[in-house]
Amino acid sequence: MLSDLGAAVGRKIRRRIAVVGGVFGLVCFGTLTARLFYIQFIDSDFYTRHAAGQQLRGITVNAPRGGIYDANMNPLAVSVSAWTIRASPREIADDKVAATAAALADILELDEASVREKLDDRKSNDKLIARAVDRAKADAVNLWCAENGVEGILVLEDTKRVYPEGDMGGSILGFVNVDGDGVAGLELEYNDLLKGENGSLLSAKNAWGYPMPDLYETLRTPTSGSSLILTVDTAIQHYLENHLSRAVEEYNVGARAVGIVMDVNTGAVLAMSTKPDYDPNSPRTITDEALRAQIDAMQGEERAAALQQAQQAQWRNKAVSDLYEPGSVFKLITASAALDSGAVTPGSTFVCRGSINVAGTRFRCANGRVHGAQNIADALMHSCNPSFIQIGAALGADRFYQYFQAFGLAEATGVDLPAEPKKSEHYTADRMGPVELASCSFGQSSKITPLQMITAVSAVVNGGKLMQPYLVSAVLDENGAISQRIEPQVKRQVISAETSARMREMMKYTVDSGPGKNAYVAGMRVGGKSGTSQKLDSEDSTARIASFVGIAPADDPQIAVLVLLDEPHTFTTAGGTLAAPVVGQVLRDTLEYLEVQPVYTEAERKNIDTTVPDLVGQTNEYASARLAEAGLGSSTRGGSGTVTSQYPAAGTVLPRGSTVVLYTENAAEETTVVPSLDGADPEQTALLLRQAGLNLRAEGAALADNVQAVWQDAAAGTRLPLGSTVTVEFYDTTIPED
Amino acid sequence: MSKPKHERPAILRRQPMADWSFAILVLTLVAFGLVMLFSASCAVAQYRFDDPYLYIRPQIVFAIAGITAMWLASRVDYHIWHRFAWPLLGLSLALLALVLVMPEYNGCRRWIVTPVGTLQPSEIAKFTVVVLFGHIIALNQTGMQSFRGGVLPFLLILGPIAGLMLLEPHLSGTLLILGIGAVLMFVGGTGLRWFGLAIGGGVGAIAAALLFVPDLVPYAASRLESWLDPFADPLGKGHQTIQSLYAIGSGGATGLGLGNSRQKHMYVPEPQNDFIFSIVCEELGFIGAVAVILLFVGLLLRGLTIAARAKDKFGALLVVGFVVQVVMQAALNIAVVTNTIPNTGISLPFFSSGGTSLMMLLGEMGIVLSVSRQGLQEKY
Repeated sequence: MLSDLGAAVGRKIRRRIAVVGGVFGLVCFGTLTARLFYIQFIDSDFYTRHAAGQQLRGITVNAPRGGIYDANMNPLAVSVSAWTIRASPREIADDKVAATAAALADILELDEASVREKLDDRKSNDKLIARAVDRAKADAVNLWCAENGVEGILVLEDTKRVYPEGDMGGSILGFVNVDGDGVAGLELEYNDLLKGENGSLLSAKNAWGYPMPDLYETLRTPTSGSSLILTVDTAIQHYLENHLSRAVEEYNVGARAVGIVMDVNTGAVLAMSTKPDYDPNSPRTITDEALRAQIDAMQGEERAAALQQAQQAQWRNKAVSDLYEPGSVFKLITASAALDSGAVTPGSTFVCRGSINVAGTRFRCANGRVHGAQNIADALMHSCNPSFIQIGAALGADRFYQYFQAFGLAEATGVDLPAEPKKSEHYTADRMGPVELASCSFGQSSKITPLQMITAVSAVVNGGKLMQPYLVSAVLDENGAISQRIEPQVKRQVISAETSARMREMMKYTVDSGPGKNAYVAGMRVGGKSGTSQKLDSEDSTARIASFVGIAPADDPQIAVLVLLDEPHTFTTAGGTLAAPVVGQVLRDTLEYLEVQPVYTEAERKNIDTTVPDLVGQTNEYASARLAEAGLGSSTRGGSGTVTSQYPAAGTVLPRGSTVVLYTENAAEETTVVPSLDGADPEQTALLLRQAGLNLRAEGAALADNVQAVWQDAAAGTRLPLGSTVTVEFYDTTIPED
Repeated sequence: MSKPKHERPAILRRQPMADWSFAILVLTLVAFGLVMLFSASCAVAQYRFDDPYLYIRPQIVFAIAGITAMWLASRVDYHIWHRFAWPLLGLSLALLALVLVMPEYNGCRRWIVTPVGTLQPSEIAKFTVVVLFGHIIALNQTGMQSFRGGVLPFLLILGPIAGLMLLEPHLSGTLLILGIGAVLMFVGGTGLRWFGLAIGGGVGAIAAALLFVPDLVPYAASRLESWLDPFADPLGKGHQTIQSLYAIGSGGATGLGLGNSRQKHMYVPEPQNDFIFSIVCEELGFIGAVAVILLFVGLLLRGLTIAARAKDKFGALLVVGFVVQVVMQAALNIAVVTNTIPNTGISLPFFSSGGTSLMMLLGEMGIVLSVSRQGLQEKY
């Protein structure tokens, strides 16, 4: 038997077998397991990254960016689909490169040579061919590639930012760069929220560069960005921008103008503009035509530098980012502090002798007037510098600085816009000697932002609460549901409600009785304060900033409007002359839009609007009586028969006291020539128009003294139907600088 | 004793139970190996030959044939191999000599191409060494302590075999055969004092081979160099190693999932062969890799248990030889793909593509089962 060969397995063999088992089972495989652990856990990231680096071709799929909507959900910034064309030249067959370059250049309207150059980089797997391509072109590229069997051209859906309101609100909205990141304004401030999370399309390629089967393609779907609802109202923004732009043009404002409309009770910014700014749809185009022409004439690096500088300048939101000397508008702060602290009382008197000597420095009253003895209300109304120096001295540097800080003028407002300076330029109490205190008291030594100024003025009039200014009232998630609501936030009580009430009266007094009259709006009880500040650090010693802040209604303030024109070049630089009318126009339109009920005085009631009744077919006698009932006059053409036509037509809204022309017995309608009204006062204007058979709609400060016609809607010499209404703006153009 | 009327042939006669645990371990490895081979090879087969089943199809056929061979071998009394011991040596030497005149492939002459498949003479040589060493030791009851009885015969056998294999050149195969020989001598009772010399002799033999065959020097040196710093030449000598490490590393703890390897798409060279383990690591992660290792450890421990319970020394040595051969090869393969040792061509048993070698492996496992039938049976 074969099995007889050999001996039984002895103990020694068994022991040695156990040794073999130990050596291989534990030592060898133990070592290898440890080695695997090291590679697959400790060094895993390194190898994974390198492996992915050679295997994967990643393409970012941009998340749809959230929209920006105004307070009424009107879209201000939206993302629309656009397509990006990319190429992976290494995947394009050699014999198809030329045809592909030609076709892409043709469809996408690109330079064929430059497309060819990109595709000729045969080792590359990602070349950008075109961005923001519309659907038709994207489809055409896809179709061409399919028909010609070309691989390696990628057509990716992307988004493109569109601002439906055009050049409105550029400085607050900002814009995005080609990567879809916000560069300025709200687009920058809320970039992370708006942007969402980009997705990616990863596709694996084998070592030969060909795609691996589909299962290796992973699409990480992008998460849409959140949307913003603003406190800004498109209607108000338009009013502000229109009136501001007109002033910029008319007064040759050299260093841009700022306007802010704020809800005084919440701190919500209803409108904010810097003019000229830019169209966020084409932010790189220089808005200022003269400057654009100048830059276009340059060459090379000089041109590039000038262009960049001009772009940076027009992107800057002056309302938030630039410091300015508030000038006499600041007297509101000094007056509030002095009254609130008890340093002065409403009855305290101050004497103006035209100038005042403070520790060896002589300060003149701004307009060289001598106001004599006056109380604080008159001192504010007259914008009297010597009086305010005395008020400031009564307050003292410590209290002055306490209120300065309390009004939020020392530190940033924290508004939700980018590029706000961390702190203003100002004197702290310990650095404020009598001379500095004197100049600070009338607003000439500190520099603050326009937003800080209007926020402080809002606190002055709203009962004394300093509000947090803000532009975003709610955040919407990707499904359009509100995910976050931003409530108004009171920072602190700065002055008492009583002081605030007194300040409102004083501001209204300033508009009703004096240098603020150009901001008047019939029935709206406007309060305000003008300012004409020197630009102390400007090389041009004549450089001024004309500004005005208005609030309305003064008995229950709703909104504040601050307008400042930086370096106007016209017949004056006075804030009361140049900025106050803009504030009045914005207040008028905004208050009407907000349906704030007007309360008319007796004088105002005379000019109140009334509607023309339908008089055709009535007897002339009856028609005249109906018009008289409606507060309108009548003028008959043709005889005493039946009215066959009327001008203006039934339903037209006319100022009370206007004349309606009645044509009887089919008399032909007549026309008349518009007279020149330039410089005429309201009475003269009314007379001139009446003589021409026209009606007057008087805008601006028509009821104030010493005003003249500065603008008429129908040019002199044009012909209008008899009975037409000419709108004329009356302003006092002689308000002194203050 | 009267014979039953219809007596079955010896091979079909009722026999004691084979070791089921071992059989299940082997079959699990075969099944696991086939799944992984298909996953690892389909991409390459598709790209190169436009047929994803190119590698797996013959492997399945050979696996079925191999399992049949295993069953048959398990039913044949293993003592029959005593008779083949010396003839096998002659056959091995003849084939090892013949392969040297075969056409070169990748700078080596390791394969004899037959109409059925390719045959590696080194596989026959390994089998031969196990059977022949077992035969000699089983008969040599007393002399294992002496140099004459416990060392010299084995050196005389290993010498020519190793010499011929180094000429292919086939360094890894040579080391494997020397390793199997050494383990068999160790288990067989060669005096421990000779072992230092035996190991030293093996090292000396390699050194001598490198000296006498100068062509081997640059061959070995370049492999050592790329071992220490594969990233020194990432596109050249370090390429295989780097790609293998990328695959293993990107597997992490749980892997990319079965079938999801990316490195098998032409990055890892020969993913169906020597580097199949790195694809296992990439797809199944550390968990899968440890599972494979545990299967081999299980096979080792179960095999050694069978050896310890074998009826006689010959059976024990056959089992130790075959099991250690599998496990040593697996350990070396894993060590290579993880860059634990220098890169050398060595396949992973049960996993790597190669039908004849799989069939032979299963036949050897059948012999292990055959030994288990005659050994001490476990009490259930």
